[in-house]
Amino acid sequence: MMGQTLMMMKRLISMYEDIDVMLEQQVAEFYQSLGIHQGPGDIQYRLILKVLGKNEGRITEFSEIREYTDRLADKGSIGSKMKTIFQLEGLAEKVKRGGYIITDKGITASNFLKDTTAFYKKNKRMGEIIERMP
Amino acid sequence: MSAGILLNATICFAITISSFAFAWVLARDGSEHNDKSKPALWSLIVLWVLVGLTYLPTTVRMIAASIGNQQLDLLMYYIAAVPFSFVSVPLVFFILYVIIGDQRISGYISALFVLFGAAYLAFFYSSGVIGPTITPLTSLFTINSDIAINIYLIGLFVIPTAMIIGLLFLILLQRMPKRLRYRTALPLVAISFVFDFMLTDMITLEDTMQLAARIFVLIGTVQAFLAYFPPMNLQEKLGIQKYESSLYEKDDGTDFDDDEEADINV
Repeated sequence: MMGQTLMMMKRLISMYEDIDVMLEQQVAEFYQSLGIHQGPGDIQYRLILKVLGKNEGRITEFSEIREYTDRLADKGSIGSKMKTIFQLEGLAEKVKRGGYIITDKGITASNFLKDTTAFYKKNKRMGEIIERMP
Repeated sequence: MSAGILLNATICFAITISSFAFAWVLARDGSEHNDKSKPALWSLIVLWVLVGLTYLPTTVRMIAASIGNQQLDLLMYYIAAVPFSFVSVPLVFFILYVIIGDQRISGYISALFVLFGAAYLAFFYSSGVIGPTITPLTSLFTINSDIAINIYLIGLFVIPTAMIIGLLFLILLQRMPKRLRYRTALPLVAISFVFDFMLTDMITLEDTMQLAARIFVLIGTVQAFLAYFPPMNLQEKLGIQKYESSLYEKDDGTDFDDDEEADINV
């Protein structure tokens, strides 16, 4: 009973935990400017992992991923990324047609992604402080 | 005429000249700074002008003390108290603006320090001072109001100093290029030096401590100048010089990178 309530609450929180595509794009561009074009510097990777992480313990529909990625990439490249990176490296498992679930390794990657966002924000804040110093 | 007091007057005059010169150089090069840093730049200019305006009457005061003119000494002490009590206003604005980046909020909070300064002056003028006590090194006055001293210590000293230390730690705890670290941390250390020793100067009852505080204010002013305009040899010694690629190009126009790229077999 307790477990079910916790699960429900977790789902509710994740539903409201929306993904800021613009922010993700800015973070990806920041890492690209540092010469990191894959992983944290890849907007597709970021968005897919964000959606998978948001749905931890639940099946993520491919259509749900596309809600965030459609304005940035075509269906084919997202599908290819799911296969060549997420499934191949064991970050996500395909549980049904068009349905994926994040693995423990994927959660680790998702946590790392959160750290990269925090680093970006910290760096940006510091950059602004320095910019304001005469 | 005591040589010690004349030395004191010379130090005060040196502080005045160097603060005004520094403010003038900052204002002259104002166009080189970006729009975001301009409010902080102008607050810095005001700060140095106020430092200069505090030490200009103090110089006259020291000369008056050396020739035994106590009335002029007292008058100059009262005049110097005005710019001195508002020194924390541009300082607080500078720190807050650099940290939060909001001109309006920084303005409101620094306006609070105008009130602190005005309250200090009100108590200071209404209670008067005791003195002067002429020593071989200086002329000292005792502020005759405990409330004025408390406002001065808490409002004008503790809070702005804590703000400087906070900003300094914020910068020092970050990993950043050595050049940027120098450029941001040294002005803060210099401001802290000047500000803290100015306050020590005004409150102390020991002549040697006052002279030492004034020497440190002068060191702080020079330090601020070095922070903004570091000489070439200092830049080389600290490894903070800005390299320009044009200085490192080969005379014949060939580039080493081209040779390396040619060796790579793809």
